Amino acid sequence: MKKLRLNKYLFLAFTFLLLQQLQVAAQSDSTPAKKIIKLHYFNVNNSMQYLLLESTLKRGKVFSPQQRKAYALYLDSSTAGNLIAQLLTDENGKAKAFVPIALKAAWDATPQHTFILKEGDDEVISDYSISKAKISLDTANTDGARSIVVSVMKMDKGQWQPAKDVEMKIGVERQGSILSAGDAATYTTDSSGTVSAEYKKDKLPGDGSGNIILVAKAEDNDVFGNLVIEKKVAWGVVTKVNTTFFDQRTLWSTRFRTPYWLLLMAYSIVIGVWGAIIYLVVQLVKIKKLSKEPNALP
Amino acid sequence: MKDLTVSSSEQITSDLLPQPFGRRGMIWTGTLILICIIGAFAYYRQLRYGLVVTHMRDYVSWGIYISNFVFFVAISLVGSLITAIFRLANVKWSTPLTRIAEIIAVSAIVFASLIIIVDMGRPERFLNLFLHGRVQSPIVWDVIVISTYFCISLLLLYFPLLPDLKILLRFKEKTGNALNKLYRFQGSFWTGTKEQFRISDKSINILCIVIIPVAFCIHTVTSWLFATTYRPGWDSTNFGAYFISGAFLVGAGAVVVAMYVFRRAYKLEKYITELHFEKMGRIVVLLALVYVYFNVNEYLVPAFKMKKPEEAHLVELFAGEYAPMFWFAILVGMVLPIFILLFKKGRKPLPVFIAGIMVVVGAWFKRYLIVTPTLLHPFLPMQNVPDSYRHYFPSWEEWAIAIGSLAGALLVITFFARIYPIIPIHETITEQHEKAEIE
Repeated sequence: MKKLRLNKYLFLAFTFLLLQQLQVAAQSDSTPAKKIIKLHYFNVNNSMQYLLLESTLKRGKVFSPQQRKAYALYLDSSTAGNLIAQLLTDENGKAKAFVPIALKAAWDATPQHTFILKEGDDEVISDYSISKAKISLDTANTDGARSIVVSVMKMDKGQWQPAKDVEMKIGVERQGSILSAGDAATYTTDSSGTVSAEYKKDKLPGDGSGNIILVAKAEDNDVFGNLVIEKKVAWGVVTKVNTTFFDQRTLWSTRFRTPYWLLLMAYSIVIGVWGAIIYLVVQLVKIKKLSKEPNALP
Repeated sequence: MKDLTVSSSEQITSDLLPQPFGRRGMIWTGTLILICIIGAFAYYRQLRYGLVVTHMRDYVSWGIYISNFVFFVAISLVGSLITAIFRLANVKWSTPLTRIAEIIAVSAIVFASLIIIVDMGRPERFLNLFLHGRVQSPIVWDVIVISTYFCISLLLLYFPLLPDLKILLRFKEKTGNALNKLYRFQGSFWTGTKEQFRISDKSINILCIVIIPVAFCIHTVTSWLFATTYRPGWDSTNFGAYFISGAFLVGAGAVVVAMYVFRRAYKLEKYITELHFEKMGRIVVLLALVYVYFNVNEYLVPAFKMKKPEEAHLVELFAGEYAPMFWFAILVGMVLPIFILLFKKGRKPLPVFIAGIMVVVGAWFKRYLIVTPTLLHPFLPMQNVPDSYRHYFPSWEEWAIAIGSLAGALLVITFFARIYPIIPIHETITEQHEKAEIE
């Protein structure tokens, strides 16, 4: 009886959990999907300006890229003459566009621009504006203390003016990230548009000549977008790659680098045994020749 | 043996001349040919569609073909045991068994070479092994040592055959024109002069000396194909000796099986006597005991320590999926033959034959157990792979090719016994004369 009751409770608990799971599944299916479309402006080393589109679909807590989605990107107004590019997202829901040479005059005309993104006839982004800016990176050495000096200038009234309060990362390019030059995670420009970061990473490994790459990067700044500048300096520790490792005669080397001891052993065995085989074949020939002698009878 | 002492040379010759196939011989040969044809068709399918027709995948990349290869290499070692070791030790009673042992060795080594080519996905690239092979690779050592062993075994088969070819040439009416032409081509130059015998005997002695280290090499190198690969179950310094002891056992088992079959099929009771079964029975017991000893070493020591990576492999063998096969190989392939052959009654021809069959069958499964379960238990866990990668059971093509290769080896032995005397005629006559002189 006790066992039956226990089974009943287990059955009820199982049914309850099952229904709850079904309800959750039904809810997640019925949740309306939300499109998240973002534009990012990049200025790398003051020479390459491009825009990166990210198109994502959010359903519940799940984000998924919108693949093979077509968009049109315009500069300042959505007329045919201001078309920057027709975009098609890739498998990650991203697409990239460079400002074409045909729009140079329009680009140079004003210090600030707005980018308009259309999906079909609908304007999905119409208020993404950036101000033109340039970034420079220099190094300084005061009494043996190295520092990185970064300046940001913005275009204002036809002239380059200092851009203050621009927050950025300053450091050394490492695998997939920037290692901060000093103790602070980020640095901000002062009223002269300049910021100086003391370089404290003295023992970083560099390349064969000790070169490392210094980087300053303003990420998704509200006014200027993404500004990136890089500079190669010989501040790292010289890293010597041991190229002789693969030249050694080892068991794992190529056939042309067989260890001498192995060659000696292998060839002496092969020559010894095959020498015996050849000797025996010669003996066979000898036996054959003996049959041709006049007194060849037993 | 008493019957033999009164036999004349003509009687011996007449008894030992190769005989045409009877009805049973034809059925036997036809069956073997049919199995070979099915195997050839399966190989055609493998060539056409690729190795995907097999059930070998990323993990089990050495399946039934390599098990078969190791089995063939093992069985080929018998040539050096019976012929070389017994000859150098001046063991006279082994004379009727030498040619049986040599042809088993030659046919086994031929099919060992063929099965390794079958295992290659692109056999047309086999030549690259010689053109671009690295001396550091045990696979290259194996290729060299197998071809060397094949040449030595062939010479060891050929030299003692020369006096018999001369005898065979005298019986053209019995052997037929085609065979007579073959004998003439192979041995017409043998006149039997003292000098020819002197050179031949010296050559056979050299071969017997050379073949022993080469035979040890062939099986040691084959064991190194596994032992130099870092995997649970193969990571052993014991492997060379373990393989050689197993090879001697299966070779001796194969010889007693062949002895019984030839004795019955060609009515050779006067030449392959109960004494031969008695002696070979004792040898099989000794070899089985040695092999049991190496097996205890091979499994008990790692099982005592039970290192984590070895555990899955060993548990699978002792009590898991492969346990029935493992205990079958141990009990039927080693322990039961010892119990049968320990008793005098067990060393009569039929029990020895049964024990021989058990040894050979057990040995085949033992090779399968050495190769496959290890591959299914790599050091790193198998993740994100299809379920078929986690198990291995050969496809019909693999079975057909493997069984076809075994049938092919038996076919070579069958045809050899049809063409040449399976017991050396000249040596038997000489021994008979020597015995008569002593008596």
